[in-house]
Amino acid sequence: MIGCYDFCGHYEWTFGWLEQLGGHELVRDYWLEAISEDSQRHAADLIVNHGLEGMRKYWQHTLEEEAADHVITSTDEVYRIDMHQCPSKGFLIKNGLKQYSDYCDHCMGWIGPLMKKAGFVIDHEHNHCGQCWWEMRRKADPTPPSAPSALSGKNDVRLLSNWKSATTDHYDRTTDPDDKTAVS
Amino acid sequence: MTREISPLPYTDTKPVGAADFYTAINATFRFIFNRFGRDGLLHYWHELGARYYAPVSQQWSKGGLHFVAEYWRAFFDAEPSAEAEVSLHANEVCVVVTTCPAIRHLRAQGREIVPTFCQQCYFVSESMAEPAGLTVRVKGGNGSCVQRFMKRSDCSAAQSMEDIATAL
Repeated sequence: MIGCYDFCGHYEWTFGWLEQLGGHELVRDYWLEAISEDSQRHAADLIVNHGLEGMRKYWQHTLEEEAADHVITSTDEVYRIDMHQCPSKGFLIKNGLKQYSDYCDHCMGWIGPLMKKAGFVIDHEHNHCGQCWWEMRRKADPTPPSAPSALSGKNDVRLLSNWKSATTDHYDRTTDPDDKTAVS
Repeated sequence: MTREISPLPYTDTKPVGAADFYTAINATFRFIFNRFGRDGLLHYWHELGARYYAPVSQQWSKGGLHFVAEYWRAFFDAEPSAEAEVSLHANEVCVVVTTCPAIRHLRAQGREIVPTFCQQCYFVSESMAEPAGLTVRVKGGNGSCVQRFMKRSDCSAAQSMEDIATAL
């Protein structure tokens, strides 16, 4: 039986398996069809139908169940996550697992299409060390991403001494997992 | 023969996994089946067992049935709401699953379960067992089953797919 205890391990392994079989497009299709539209359809129901309130309900449950070290900052305009220690990426680092080029892309791979459907855009960075931040705003809202500490204060992950990494991936008002630039 | 390290090849900081991940496992099977058919899904299960779970096969090769029993006890202890008894006998390890945590959660969430979901327990485990000179036979499914692990030389009858229930 394939279990949920080591899910992140065989999930990441599956990205690599799919990429070998059908290239990057197949991995993108998997994140969209299997994860965003099938597995996480409860997230889509909440967020597409209830917007920011749906985000609060979804991530409060799921991040607590996964025991993620994180801080949520939520207003009427923006939903921000500061992930200080991602349990998913942390599992891979702890166990030395790396089958796929960038595991962190899977979050944008399934959350991006969902946010597009819900009418939101995403500002996001991940540093490949289990730390990232997200800001979700309505597509019509032109507000740029917050400066460090401006929105989440001392909880802003960008203030942590170990935030800087060799490469940080940056997403600017997008919902596409490939629409990123690497920042050194 | 006992070990101080975990019988599980990959360990987490929390003792039990998050049940919501079962929906992703089920959706992954559906995606691969829809794209590549039954042969594609069987190939995925085989590769997962042979490659991702290769460290388990290596442990079973070293420790035989004793390590098989240790592995499945630790495995079900880490799955939320699982009810399973693992017993070690002279020639086999018997895993009696009275509540499959995956089927239980998928039903509770009202998810459409891939009909061949329970066949993973044969195909993945068989790929893990074969390099260690072991084999598995599965009977039941759809929420409860019996899985028997034994030496390949002690088992002549092939696994019947009719013995594995369709998941509903």
